[in-house]
Amino acid sequence: MRHVVNPLLRHRLMPLLVVLQVALACAIACNALFLLQQKLVPILTPDGIGAPDRLVMAWNIASRGKPWPTSRLLEVRQALRALPGVSAASVAGSLPMETNAQMNGTAVAEDTRIKAGDAAVYIGADLVETLGLQLVAGRDFSAEEQGIQYHGMGINDSGPTIITRALAHRLFPDGHALGKVIRIGEAADAAHRTVVGVVAHLMSNKFDAAGGNVDYTMLFPGVPGNWPMPVFAVRAASGTDVARVRKAVKDTIYRELGNQLIQGFEPTIQMYGDMRAHALAKFRAAVWLLAGVSVVVLVVTLAGIMGLTGYWVQQRTRQIGIRRALGARRKHILRELQLENLLVVGAGVLLGLATAYAINLWLMRHYELTRLPWQYLPFGAALMLLLGQLAVLSPALRASRVPPVVATRSV
Amino acid sequence: MFGYYLRLSLRRCRQNLAVVGLLVLTMAIGIASTMTAMTIFGALAGEPLPGISSQLYVATMDAREAVDKDNPDYKQPDSYLKLGDAKALVDAHRAPQQLALAQSYIEASNPDGKQSDQVTGFMVYGKPLGMLGVPLRYGRPWTAQELAARVPVVVIDSDLAQKLFGSEDAVGRGVLMGKQVFRVIGVTAPWKPHTAFLDLPRNQGDPLGSNEQFFVPAEAALEAGVGPLTSGECGKGAPVVAFQSAEVQHCRWLEVWTRLDTPAQEAGWRAFLAGYADAQHVAGRYVYPPQPKLYGTRAWMTLNHVVPDDVRLNLMLAGAFLLLCMVNVAGLLAARFLRRQADVAIRRALGASKRTVFVQHIVETGVLGLAGGVLALPLTGLGLWIVRMQPVSYSEAARFSPGVFGVLLLLSLVVGLLVGVLPAWRVCRQPPALQIKVA
Repeated sequence: MRHVVNPLLRHRLMPLLVVLQVALACAIACNALFLLQQKLVPILTPDGIGAPDRLVMAWNIASRGKPWPTSRLLEVRQALRALPGVSAASVAGSLPMETNAQMNGTAVAEDTRIKAGDAAVYIGADLVETLGLQLVAGRDFSAEEQGIQYHGMGINDSGPTIITRALAHRLFPDGHALGKVIRIGEAADAAHRTVVGVVAHLMSNKFDAAGGNVDYTMLFPGVPGNWPMPVFAVRAASGTDVARVRKAVKDTIYRELGNQLIQGFEPTIQMYGDMRAHALAKFRAAVWLLAGVSVVVLVVTLAGIMGLTGYWVQQRTRQIGIRRALGARRKHILRELQLENLLVVGAGVLLGLATAYAINLWLMRHYELTRLPWQYLPFGAALMLLLGQLAVLSPALRASRVPPVVATRSV
Repeated sequence: MFGYYLRLSLRRCRQNLAVVGLLVLTMAIGIASTMTAMTIFGALAGEPLPGISSQLYVATMDAREAVDKDNPDYKQPDSYLKLGDAKALVDAHRAPQQLALAQSYIEASNPDGKQSDQVTGFMVYGKPLGMLGVPLRYGRPWTAQELAARVPVVVIDSDLAQKLFGSEDAVGRGVLMGKQVFRVIGVTAPWKPHTAFLDLPRNQGDPLGSNEQFFVPAEAALEAGVGPLTSGECGKGAPVVAFQSAEVQHCRWLEVWTRLDTPAQEAGWRAFLAGYADAQHVAGRYVYPPQPKLYGTRAWMTLNHVVPDDVRLNLMLAGAFLLLCMVNVAGLLAARFLRRQADVAIRRALGASKRTVFVQHIVETGVLGLAGGVLALPLTGLGLWIVRMQPVSYSEAARFSPGVFGVLLLLSLVVGLLVGVLPAWRVCRQPPALQIKVA
């Protein structure tokens, strides 16, 4: 070990530069990969929508002046439902992938006071059927519950709710969510919502909920009152021409609401898949950017370590020759250089992980970021050590082939 | 001597093209990524109206009345005031210039309705053109009498004039807005702030300014049925948002901006604002302590997160990446220089001082840095192009500007010299005798 460490201490510049480089690369890569993982969350989380290729969404519909009365929205929904080839239709305050208008609330389990912040609330008629949600426990809202009339938006009213499995696990860790009561918000007079059903998944439309989970969602029956930006969802029956249904939905929306739309904003009537692609485009772009940055950082570091080690080995050609002449075998030289690299890169990694953590703490203070999970640290360390070994391989192999006779030259 | 070093470094660069290429490319990538991030950050965080916005201040206070008591949606005092309050603050004339405004998005057409356009502009109480520095091309701004008498006049920009009337000089023509024809009294050049700092609440999530194509006296507009884009804060029980409604008498919907040039003026206006707000509270109109505050443009933009967090994070990421590239290049340069220890030893033995050796190597790294800068130019263009293709709200900010070019050259030179200092110092440090012995 001493003959590995001593040269490092005697010629400090080269090892120091490698340590610095590895530390920087490690800190950048850990944080970039962490950001990347966060941007991946909405892309990878199941949105819960069944058969999305038959779901037509109509949104960007905003009323000029006063919002449409609920009865008017329900009439439009009836008209959509009556279109040929339509199996279900809903009107709601907001829906997955609709980011213009969001309703969120803090869900609090009444008995245990366990909280889930920023849970999305979708208030709408017949959403389980129209969105094709998969009920895993309990029941859908009854016809009577669906008929509720809200005076306000409905978020502050009491009644039944259907929640996602993820939210149920969070609020009721014992596994019995059905029949339990959730308070919407922490105020003393917060609304009571009784859980009547649990669905497998349903994605929130607030993608970057700080500390939240994009699968924390609650459904309320009815239609929000006094709400200026309704969203319509229309499910085409299987075997029908979806494009024709979409066209019919568009015509219906313009015919029914056209003269009360705000000027200059066109309603968007599109397939759910297109809406999803549009809503998540920003995240996909960020993922590509961060992945690109991470790769370039690693490549640059690899090239840097290779260059430095190459020189560092070349400098010691004569010493290596002497050691070979004194009986060291090829694999000893190879192992020694690999060990040396491990030590140097390891020092860099330790420094880098500490820096990565410090940067993360600073970012947490100033931006809406969560704590870097500790699992990243061994992963990052392993990645950098592997990179170091990769970089040292070619110079080390070259060094191990130095013939003992070199020792006798140029003396 | 400098010329000689320059020739020498060029000759040396030709010797090992692969390594030199790697050095230059690494620097170029680092510089280009930083330049790309800096361009976007600069466009968003810079002054929205150069030379003007730094003297502009907006007022915030808790102006809630009894109807809006205990509203759970109300978080903190905001910038919206009722028309009556806004008028009172503007009409007091306690600042050199003041106005109240709200953004509006309407359909404007010529009187026969044949030509029309959807345009963004401001409903204003006060005199906007001088205070905001909007350049007038034809005609005149409105007078205090016209404002007070609610005369239906409008100032439009040359693009709208061209679109509606086929010529820029549209003074004297009529524009149909809402249910009334407004007489055009002035035509401005196309005008937009770099960032949407005026009426920020109506521009959330959209940091870049838009072309403001008309200015219309607020009360005349309301009488014609033209309202702000959204109605603002209309009290409990009102819809969360109502679009393009002129029924705003119960709403807080206007921002009050002032131009204040000196600290004394600022203090004076602050005191006046506090006095006004307290009087309203004492009189029982404002039900809560009003906490009036004054924000300069920059503070107001910071408070409202005009620069998206992603842009700041990307800038930091790019900066850290540049640092990594610099350490990398410094290491490779050190290896490159130290390989030539023998040459240096001979030069030192022939009488070259440490200083000349140092300068020689610094010149070489400076040349490499500039080469990196030259290569970074197209790479920055590429980076900005990639950002423009992104589905993000600030993509239009990713444009080359002359300033960027200068910063880039400077940055590359600084980077080149910085990365060279350590290796050059290292190579000139050893005594000549030792180096000759090694050779």
